[in-house]
Amino acid sequence: MNIQVEGSEEYGNEVYVELFERILIDLGLTNRVEGAKLLIYPEKHLFIVTVRMRQARTSVKVNEVADVSDREGNAFLVIRNESYAPALLALLWKQFGRERIEQLSRLEILAHGVTTERVEGLQISPGEELRKEVLDAIWRLLPEGFKVRHNLFDENVMTIVSTEHTMDDEFLQMGEKAHEQMVKGMGLDEGTEVVDDEEEGEGDV
Amino acid sequence: MYEVLMFDGGVYRVNELYELVEDIGGFVIQKTQIQVMITVTIAIPAEDRPVIEAKTRELGGKLIEVPLAGTEIAVVGPTLGRHHMPHPICDIAEHLRKYGAITVVMGLARGKGRQTAQISADEKAFIEEYDAAVFVLGNFADCILKDKVRLFEKIEVPVAVVCGPEISELPSCEALVCGVGRKVERMRRAEEIAKLEETARAVQRVVQERKEEIDEDPLFVHPAEVKQRIENLELVQQSLRPAPIVLHLDGLRVKVPYEQVKDQLCAIDIYGRKLCEITTIAPSRLGGSTMVHILTKAQVASRDLRSLGERAAKTTLDLDQPERKAEVKLP
Repeated sequence: MNIQVEGSEEYGNEVYVELFERILIDLGLTNRVEGAKLLIYPEKHLFIVTVRMRQARTSVKVNEVADVSDREGNAFLVIRNESYAPALLALLWKQFGRERIEQLSRLEILAHGVTTERVEGLQISPGEELRKEVLDAIWRLLPEGFKVRHNLFDENVMTIVSTEHTMDDEFLQMGEKAHEQMVKGMGLDEGTEVVDDEEEGEGDV
Repeated sequence: MYEVLMFDGGVYRVNELYELVEDIGGFVIQKTQIQVMITVTIAIPAEDRPVIEAKTRELGGKLIEVPLAGTEIAVVGPTLGRHHMPHPICDIAEHLRKYGAITVVMGLARGKGRQTAQISADEKAFIEEYDAAVFVLGNFADCILKDKVRLFEKIEVPVAVVCGPEISELPSCEALVCGVGRKVERMRRAEEIAKLEETARAVQRVVQERKEEIDEDPLFVHPAEVKQRIENLELVQQSLRPAPIVLHLDGLRVKVPYEQVKDQLCAIDIYGRKLCEITTIAPSRLGGSTMVHILTKAQVASRDLRSLGERAAKTTLDLDQPERKAEVKLP
């Protein structure tokens, strides 16, 4: 995983890289995040996080993770791969409503009034779950007072622009630029990098 | 000046220590007995420390420095959110407890953000009930210097600030510790523990300065002496809260509601005076507690003079009145 940071305060930049690494470790996401970039400008009240996720597990059909059989006109599912259980349950609730889905035991589900054909064809997408987890990590990282947020989503890249006051066009442009660069995967192979604007400025003089 | 120490040893002949402490004019603040072992927190006159050290050696125990014993300290964060708690605020509070302080962790209602960060008058008043406050701030110097500094302006108790970036000077605070900042994990690495130690030392320095300030105009009685009298009250003994009486540098907090306990507190006799004559007793803003602030010797003397003056004036008035009556009665 590669985390880049750009900002006006050296100490803050270094600490936030460490903080984000710790948060990802806590949430068990280190292997699922390919890279991230933080743009931190406290004097402008601006904090941008852009994260590129690794490819989530590909979509699977319900009959690949569970045995589906007919029980008196109802679909009866026995989950084989437990890691898909929460996503499967959520999908069934969404498709047929909670009142028709009965969880008999940890790995057994009965779908009342649903044919096996309708259940077998459904697709489970674990990517959604990953996005939720990464979003949680970003929310933990963002300064608490920066409540005005703008989100940019792509298939594998997620960018949050946050500020304390009005969302300026300049901030949005910075966010979009960072998002595009992350989509293209620019700079992700260079290793963790801390860029301090003040030091750069001194160098220019 | 009183020095607070902790005796750690066995219960065998520990009564001799209590007697010695009493003989030299000291007080036993707290006793914690676990089977045959006991820890006793004592406040003794600083000049008599060698006597206590000798007795401790004789009893086979050891004396531990608890420089923050007898203080209640508030550790304040911008909010109670997970961005600030439990680390590092709770780590700092826990470390201060090792030095004998009673610590309270607080989060402000609207302390988050930069320009939106604020502290209410009520929150300031809560903080001022404690002996000192430790404000734990974040990682950006610009934010701390321009905005967060408002949070601890005009607080009347000593303030120590803990923050991330290296800042040479910060207004409105008595101590500054840099290099902590925001954390998402427990402070357990060697350099982090060193920072906790530095924070504890900064708080000790602040508390010591406050003690020296109090000694310039000493209190009428030591808070530990008042505690000894108060702990015999039935209401206090019935209190189920972990430490029903908490010592402060200039008074104490009694964890019984003011309305219930005020009359009993007032009636307590100390050196022939009522407690309310030598203290101010008021309800705590946190509710369910009563604050007792001990007056200084000078304040008590001034009160005495005033009441003496009032009495003298009343006597003169009484002497004048019969004469006037007599005049009226004359034909």
